[in-house]
Amino acid sequence: MTRDEAELQDTLDQLSVLGPTAAERPRPAGQALARLRVLTAETRRTRRVVRASWHPLTLWRFTMTARPKTMFAILIIVLLFGVAFSFPAVRAAASDFLGLFRVQKFAAISISPEQLARLEEIAEQGLYPGQLEMISDPGQPQITTSLREAAKLAGQPVRSLTALGQPSRIEITQGGSARLTIDLQAARTLLDIAGADPTLLPDSLEGATVDATIYPAVYQEWSDGTAFVQTESPLVDYPDDVDPAVIGEALLQALGMERDRARDLAQSIDWANTLLLPVPTNVATFSEVRVEGQVGLGLSSIDGQGNVILWQRGGRVYMLMGDQDVNELVRVVESLR
Amino acid sequence: MTEGDELTTLPDSLLLEGLGRGDAASFEVLFYRHYERVYGLLFRLVGNQAEAEDLTQEVFLRLYRRPPAGRAEHNLAAWLYQVATRLGYNAIRGRRRLWQRNVHLLPDPAGSPDTALRVEERETRQRVRAALAHLPQRQAQLLLLRQMGLSYEELAAVCQVAPGSVGTLLARAAQAFKQVYGDEKERQV
Repeated sequence: MTRDEAELQDTLDQLSVLGPTAAERPRPAGQALARLRVLTAETRRTRRVVRASWHPLTLWRFTMTARPKTMFAILIIVLLFGVAFSFPAVRAAASDFLGLFRVQKFAAISISPEQLARLEEIAEQGLYPGQLEMISDPGQPQITTSLREAAKLAGQPVRSLTALGQPSRIEITQGGSARLTIDLQAARTLLDIAGADPTLLPDSLEGATVDATIYPAVYQEWSDGTAFVQTESPLVDYPDDVDPAVIGEALLQALGMERDRARDLAQSIDWANTLLLPVPTNVATFSEVRVEGQVGLGLSSIDGQGNVILWQRGGRVYMLMGDQDVNELVRVVESLR
Repeated sequence: MTEGDELTTLPDSLLLEGLGRGDAASFEVLFYRHYERVYGLLFRLVGNQAEAEDLTQEVFLRLYRRPPAGRAEHNLAAWLYQVATRLGYNAIRGRRRLWQRNVHLLPDPAGSPDTALRVEERETRQRVRAALAHLPQRQAQLLLLRQMGLSYEELAAVCQVAPGSVGTLLARAAQAFKQVYGDEKERQV
C-alpha cells in the first residue's frame, strides 16, 4: 500500500463515524414512499375523516373577534390549546398523552414558522386522527356587562382585575365535551406527514377513545384592550395502557424537535399535568413568570402586538393579555379579586 | 415472473424512461433502489436523522417532478448524489437554530443514563464534520461517497471527471482532510 493509499484509508476510517448507527437508520423505504405519495398528492390519503362541526376553539374564539388586532391573540389562543386541541395533526397525541389531564403547569417549546406552516397545512387538508364526536356543544357565547350575571351564567365565581375598573365587555361560553375515537392508521399518517416517527404510536391505540371536557369560560375586556380569560382546567381522559412519555415524544417530534432531543425531553416532562405550548419563533419569545405564587408562562410578541401571561391556580387556568409588558401584566394580577 | 419483478431487474435508464411517461411503478423501483444510499450521504452531510430524511424526500420529489434528461439519464445514481449534495450543503448553510434559544425552559435532559457515553461519540462526529466543512465541496463529496463504498467509476460520474483522475483527487482530498482535522483537534484541545 502506497503512502497515499494509506492516508486515504485512514481518512475513510475517520469518516466512518459519520455513518448512521442502527438507531439512526432511516424509516423503512415503504414508509418513506408512502409519505412521499401523500406529499406529492399522487395518491390520496388512505382515509378521510369528516371534520366535526364543533371545535373546542369555539370556546375561545370570541376573544379574537372582540379584539381586532389579534393576530397575536389568535396565535396565543392557538398556543394555549394548540397542541391539545386545535391541530388535528397532533390532536391524538395531545389528547392521549394528557391522560386524565388537568393543567398544573405550562411548558413552552419553540416551533419554527416552517413547521407551524406544515401543521397548519395538514389541518387545512382536513386530516384527522380519528372520528371526533361532539357530546355536548358549548353553544354561542352570552354577553353581559355584570360580573354577578357572568358568575350566574357560568355557574361559578368570577374573578376580575379591580385595578382596571369595570370591564367594558364580558362574555361567557358554556362548557362542552367531545370524544375522539382513534383511527391508528390515520393518526400514524398524520404524524408521519408532520415529520414524526409514526411507529411511536402503539397498536393498542386503534379504536381507543379519548374524552375531552372543557368548562365554562369567562372573558373580560377593558377599554384599553386588556383582556382576561378564566376557566376551569380542561379535562382529558385517555386509555390507561398508553405510556404518555412515548406519545409525548411523538408530539415533540411533530413540533419539529430532533429525535434524540425529543426522546430525552419526553422522559423529563410530567405529561399528565403539563400543557405544552408551541411558540413560533417569529412570533413570540417566552419566559417563566411567577403569578399568584405559581410558576406561569409569559409570552412577549416580537412585533409589539401585545403580550400574554398564563398561569393556573387551584385547578383553574387564567390568561391575561394586553399591551403591557409581561412584568406589568404580572403586577396587574395583584389586583385580582 | 410478475410485471413487478420484471421492473426491478430493469436498469435505471429504462426506468427513467418509464418515469418520464408518468409510470408510478418505475418511480417506486427507483426509489427503493436508491433510497438508503441517498439517505446515507445526506445523513453524513447534515448529521441529523430527521433532516436527512426530509432532504432525501426532497431529492426524490425532484426526481419525480423533473426527472433528469439527456446525458444524466444514463447514470441516475450520479444525478441523485449531485442533487443530494447540493441540497445537503444548502441545508447546512441555511440552517436556522432560532428555536433553540427558547428551549431552556423545558427540563434539561442532561443526566440521563446514556448521556455520558454519547458525548464522546458526538464530539468526534462534530470534529470530523467540522473538518469536512472546511474542504471544498467536491473533495468532501468524493471522500464521503468513497467511504460509502462507491467505485472510482461511480465517483467519476458523480463528480464529472475522468475515471483516471479520481485516485489523484481522492489522495488530495485525504491530505486536505488530514491537515484540517489535525488543526481541528488541536483547536479543541
